[in-house]
Amino acid sequence: MEPLAHEGLGRWLRLADTETPLALDATPGAALLPGDGCADGGALRLSDRELALPPPPLGRDPRAQPLSLSDNVAVLEGAATREPRELAAALVAARETAGHRRLLYAPAIDPVEMPLLAYLGVDVFDDLTTELRSVAGWELYHGDWVRPPMPRDDLAAHNRRALARWLAHLRQAMGSGRLREAVERSALHHPRVTATLHHAREALAQRDSRLPRSLRAGALSLHHPAVVRFRRRLARTAPPTKGMVLLLLPCSARKPYHRSTSHRRFRETLRTLPAWLRLHVVSVTSPLGLVPRELELAYPAAHYDIAVTGHWDAAERAMLARQVERLRPEDHYINAVVHAGAASRLLAELLRERGLTVFETGAERPAAAEGLAQLHKAATAALAGQPPLSGAARGGGEMAAQARFQFGALAEPLLAAPVRGRWPRLHLGELASTAPTLGGLALTRDGAAALMAAGGPVVEAGDFRLRGDLFAAGVTGSRGEWRVGDQVAIVQRGEVTAAGVAHMEPAEMVDLQHGLAVEVRHRG
Amino acid sequence: MDELGTFVRACKSPPPAHRLDEPVALWREREVLDGVETKAAVAILRTRGCYWSLREGCAMCGYFGDTVPGGVAIDALAAQWRRVLRHIGDARYVKLYTSGSFLDPHEVPREFATRALADLAAAGVAQVLVESLPEFVQPRLLHFPGAPRLEIAIGLESATPLVLDRCVNKRLTWDGFERACAAAHDSGARVKGYLLLKPPFLTEGAAIADAVASARRAAPHVDSLSLNPVNVQRRTVVERLWRRGEWTAPWLWSVVEVLYRCADLPVRLYCDPTGGGTRRGAHNCGDCDQRVLAALTAHRLGSGEPVGLACDCRARWEALVAQGPRRRDGSEPMGLRRGFADGRGY
Repeated sequence: MEPLAHEGLGRWLRLADTETPLALDATPGAALLPGDGCADGGALRLSDRELALPPPPLGRDPRAQPLSLSDNVAVLEGAATREPRELAAALVAARETAGHRRLLYAPAIDPVEMPLLAYLGVDVFDDLTTELRSVAGWELYHGDWVRPPMPRDDLAAHNRRALARWLAHLRQAMGSGRLREAVERSALHHPRVTATLHHAREALAQRDSRLPRSLRAGALSLHHPAVVRFRRRLARTAPPTKGMVLLLLPCSARKPYHRSTSHRRFRETLRTLPAWLRLHVVSVTSPLGLVPRELELAYPAAHYDIAVTGHWDAAERAMLARQVERLRPEDHYINAVVHAGAASRLLAELLRERGLTVFETGAERPAAAEGLAQLHKAATAALAGQPPLSGAARGGGEMAAQARFQFGALAEPLLAAPVRGRWPRLHLGELASTAPTLGGLALTRDGAAALMAAGGPVVEAGDFRLRGDLFAAGVTGSRGEWRVGDQVAIVQRGEVTAAGVAHMEPAEMVDLQHGLAVEVRHRG
Repeated sequence: MDELGTFVRACKSPPPAHRLDEPVALWREREVLDGVETKAAVAILRTRGCYWSLREGCAMCGYFGDTVPGGVAIDALAAQWRRVLRHIGDARYVKLYTSGSFLDPHEVPREFATRALADLAAAGVAQVLVESLPEFVQPRLLHFPGAPRLEIAIGLESATPLVLDRCVNKRLTWDGFERACAAAHDSGARVKGYLLLKPPFLTEGAAIADAVASARRAAPHVDSLSLNPVNVQRRTVVERLWRRGEWTAPWLWSVVEVLYRCADLPVRLYCDPTGGGTRRGAHNCGDCDQRVLAALTAHRLGSGEPVGLACDCRARWEALVAQGPRRRDGSEPMGLRRGFADGRGY
């Protein structure tokens, strides 16, 4: 049993000759074996292994305990019919009850709900509903049911193959961090999926596993867990120094924004001003809201793509208002320049409501020559009488914001170290430096040790010479909390020997015997 | 109290207030008596109700809602009885139900029961059907001087202890049932056995198998068997599961299948589904329900066999039943019976 990837609360597992999530009786090598009599749950056959299922829930109040457990399998009873709120709660709690070594089986699920359930942790599905649909003459087409455009006499076999492909597609999607997209697609036209996803939102924002993979944002991405997490963490940060001028700019298609043509032009226009380093650039975007310059590399600010139409809908406007609140501009800035295209009027209003003096450029095309002239004029006015600021003076604050954004309260002890370099290439003593591939700060071994001293995440490994990455077989214990994608310290014989990115959850790497546990990035 | 007992109680709520001087219901229907079709009168007396229901009750039974748990005084019963007598008319067969056991002396006082049965004999009634839990089917409680011939209906429900215990929540033993049948026969009464089709928690396939096995086991001890497809009664475990979609009422095809597989039994097995053709009762796709129900009625009255019925939905039923042992509960995908055509229900 070896996890190959994680997304949401779900996992892509390799099991001997087969992989989950799979569909019994559709995925080759996997079968659901019937029980003998109504109190026998039967078994799962996965290649040559038979895993007994727990007995069916005869006489049980379905609200009392949604999971039935056998040695190797946990069954989410009534998963196909549970009301969305209950289903979400049951799935969110399931892994803790079932542990990581049990496969989580959800019986009789319609294929359209499989992306969602796989995303919320289900490993095993079956073909029961698909089989009944086949008999009724429906064809499984891209995970949905359609009437076949021309009659087919092999519908049952065809649908079984289509179901196997559907599951293979979901595994693939999980591998490339795009299962969420499949979930959102199925949610668009299925109220049950939408409602369940809605009720799982908070748990996902708390526990979503994800390595920094690109995010193709759409209408539902406002609730993408990585996006929600980014927006919430904005409240952890402050501008690099006191006495700065807030400069709101439009986002750019190119990421990170500072590399785009438009932002380069903004920079060229502003750098002639003597105090221009006092301008704190914050980009305005959907679905992330507000992205301060020093967080541009953080996931997913440098990793998303969205259609830019210039139209801000009601949900996006509410989101922007919330982000302005989290920015606390009245505490941090002396005044503000708003040069953000279509969102400018709304933002200027929000800032004024909070008592800030706002210089609005009113430019409709911010990066055009006329817009740049307006920007120059507004920035000159906003900076009037302000003394210049050195790049070095900003560096410390930029590092602090980045570290707090990433590590929260644990970052404080690290911030005693001297900051070198200029953004985007900053170094925090010998503890950490910015790493665009990782989406923020990459810790060195010493950095991970410092984080550990503050109560940061620790993976305890056995007494062996760590040469490459750390695998689950070598893990003996864990301390602290983390999610897949977070950085951890590896401790052997009481000493921190390496720092790396966790590829499993804490309990998971202790429970399992196979698979990549920590991708080691720095060794002492 | 075990898990299911607790669940049954959790689904219940106290019955509403009822008038005590009127029976729950009166109607007339066609029946077969000694092989001849005849008119039957049916009455449901309002009583204290089933003693088991007061303690825990069965998972599918909502008759509790028709009872008066505080008890019904004998004059109120007498008032009800006057209305029943007027209703009898020329019926030679009377079914006298309570929402419990007619033979339980604490539910139906002996004095009242004896007089009532004597009244029926005087009115020319040849046979009276009453229902009872087996524990009350004893020689002492079966003795009613001057009564018409009795037919005692006993709810066996299932001959499988596991089903009784974990699906129905009925404390009935096979030995108790056998003893009750023998006692009834010794007293000259006839015995009718009730069997459930698809108690809660069972799959459609397991339900058919259990009903057939139970019918075979019960047949030597009874004079006739009535198959009762479980219907959704208020404030029951069944209703709770049904609302949640974790159990659906059986298909009429399942009824037909049980009758077909029991055709060789030495006693009559028939079915008059309560709520047949509705969402709360046994039903098929909605297009063939009335045809199948008519065939069941014809079979019950001895004028036909439920054969040669066909409908598109039968293939879907067959597929569901074939999945039987691979499914974990009595659910099925919403819309299966109608082939997932648009529209809600069924």
